Amino acid sequence: MTAGRITRLVLVERSRRILGLIGFAILFVLAGFVARLLVGGSGHVEMGQLYQIGGYPMVSALLLLGWLLGRYPIIATLVLVTGWFSADRAAGYARLYSVRPVSFLRLYGLRLLTLLAVSFVMSAVLMPTFDVLMLGEWTGAAVFVLIGSYVLLYGSLTAFLSLFTRGEGWLALGLGMSAMIWDAMRRAGSLDQAPRIVRQIVSFILPPQGPLFRIETAFGEIQPIPWIDVGYVAAYSAILLLATAVFIVDREV
Amino acid sequence: MIEFQGVTKRFGGRRRAAGVLALRDVSLTISTGSVTGVVGPNGAGKSTFFALLLGFLRPTAGSAMVAGMAPRDYTRKHGAGYLPERFSLPPDWSVRSALEGLADLERIPEAQARAGETLARLGLVEHADKAVSALSRGLLQRLGLAQALLARRQLIVLDEPTEGLDPVWRVRFRELIADLRSEDRTLLIASHDLTEIERLVDRVIVMDDGAIRESLAIDHASTERRRYRIELQSSVAGAAQLLGLSKSETEKVFTVELADARELSARLAALLDLGAIVESVTPADGLEERVRAALQPEPKA
Repeated sequence: MTAGRITRLVLVERSRRILGLIGFAILFVLAGFVARLLVGGSGHVEMGQLYQIGGYPMVSALLLLGWLLGRYPIIATLVLVTGWFSADRAAGYARLYSVRPVSFLRLYGLRLLTLLAVSFVMSAVLMPTFDVLMLGEWTGAAVFVLIGSYVLLYGSLTAFLSLFTRGEGWLALGLGMSAMIWDAMRRAGSLDQAPRIVRQIVSFILPPQGPLFRIETAFGEIQPIPWIDVGYVAAYSAILLLATAVFIVDREV
Repeated sequence: MIEFQGVTKRFGGRRRAAGVLALRDVSLTISTGSVTGVVGPNGAGKSTFFALLLGFLRPTAGSAMVAGMAPRDYTRKHGAGYLPERFSLPPDWSVRSALEGLADLERIPEAQARAGETLARLGLVEHADKAVSALSRGLLQRLGLAQALLARRQLIVLDEPTEGLDPVWRVRFRELIADLRSEDRTLLIASHDLTEIERLVDRVIVMDDGAIRESLAIDHASTERRRYRIELQSSVAGAAQLLGLSKSETEKVFTVELADARELSARLAALLDLGAIVESVTPADGLEERVRAALQPEPKA
């Protein structure tokens, strides 16, 4: 099996989604560029300056944009990995591959790797570019660790769910949102009254938003990368990938 | 080569009453090098049978073996040619890149050359750079056949292979099957086109409601007498006697047993001399009749 040819076919198969994500990314860059033009000069684009130019709508738009930009690796990963296995199964492609003397593990592993790499590269181009536009400076390599953590976690979660349902993208998004809300409530102390065991079980089942939040915070505050949290996210993803590998070998198609 | 012992497949529901029983207690043996037709109405279980045979699904009960192995182990080790009933590939792939990619998966050493050879064999060279989504129904079916015949596999399963093919390619398809037969491959073909099936196979499995109703041998070199159904436009005095019958079914429809086509022609000529106008002549012991008989509801005990 030539990895190069399979990779090309995967990229062709996903070309419309990739183009859509590139278009989405261009919107961010354009918005950042416009903000920079409006404020002018160098240094950070400050909220106060934007408020003076465009009032609350301008500030709100930029806050929304900033929040969305932070989720771009999740969006790109969900868009690209959704249907990784489930769509092939529904369309009957998985059966066409299954009658060939090829390891499903290798074939779908290569497909997943390609899609995760594309998600990573697109996010790794967009996020630092936007940061340079808005902050006027390079924020360091920690952004790649943050992107890698998001891509790995949401890629492995979506791939695992893809073995069982066609709604894997929405399900992964729902789990991710639940984890964000749960983690925010936990940090705010709203869950202190809940039994400890319940909190631990829910925190364990939901995607590890706590570690992701700490990685994101460290990046935002230009602090050292919390490698323990990165390791936790990597281990969580590795368990999901391992489970995916075990199930895909004997999955009915 | 293929051995099914009491194979049952149920979809959905763990309880006995729940779910859909797609295949029930199917037992059969198919020898290496044979060409077998699988026929039956929609929902008879043909596609489920193929899915179990190729290891896409696991039986709920019973055992399915191909060359002494579980089907999925067999396809992983040896591969199989397979054309699904509703064939499709990712719409943005080009015909050439699809075949080259699949040839890669087949572990064919000269993947590009084999893909090119198969494109030519199925008359797809001039369409090679088109996207799969741009292909007509017939071209897509030819691409389906191309990918099924890409590697030289011992086991080949074709589900409705002539669906969408034009008359020219139906004839070419027969030639392809003749080539495969001469190479001693084991072929299974499902089709609703019984005339086509009768031409191609040695044996026909008739399925209905998830079970095998009959296994019919097709003898292409038969010298036995054949039965024909002759229908006249209107009744003609003396027609029954001329055909050697004491009475007709409806004074204008006759079922006669004749030695061969020569005798049939002679009797028809005699009927025309009598002033009869022949509306239709159809074989009454063809596969269609035999399948119809096999699918008759079983008498209640």
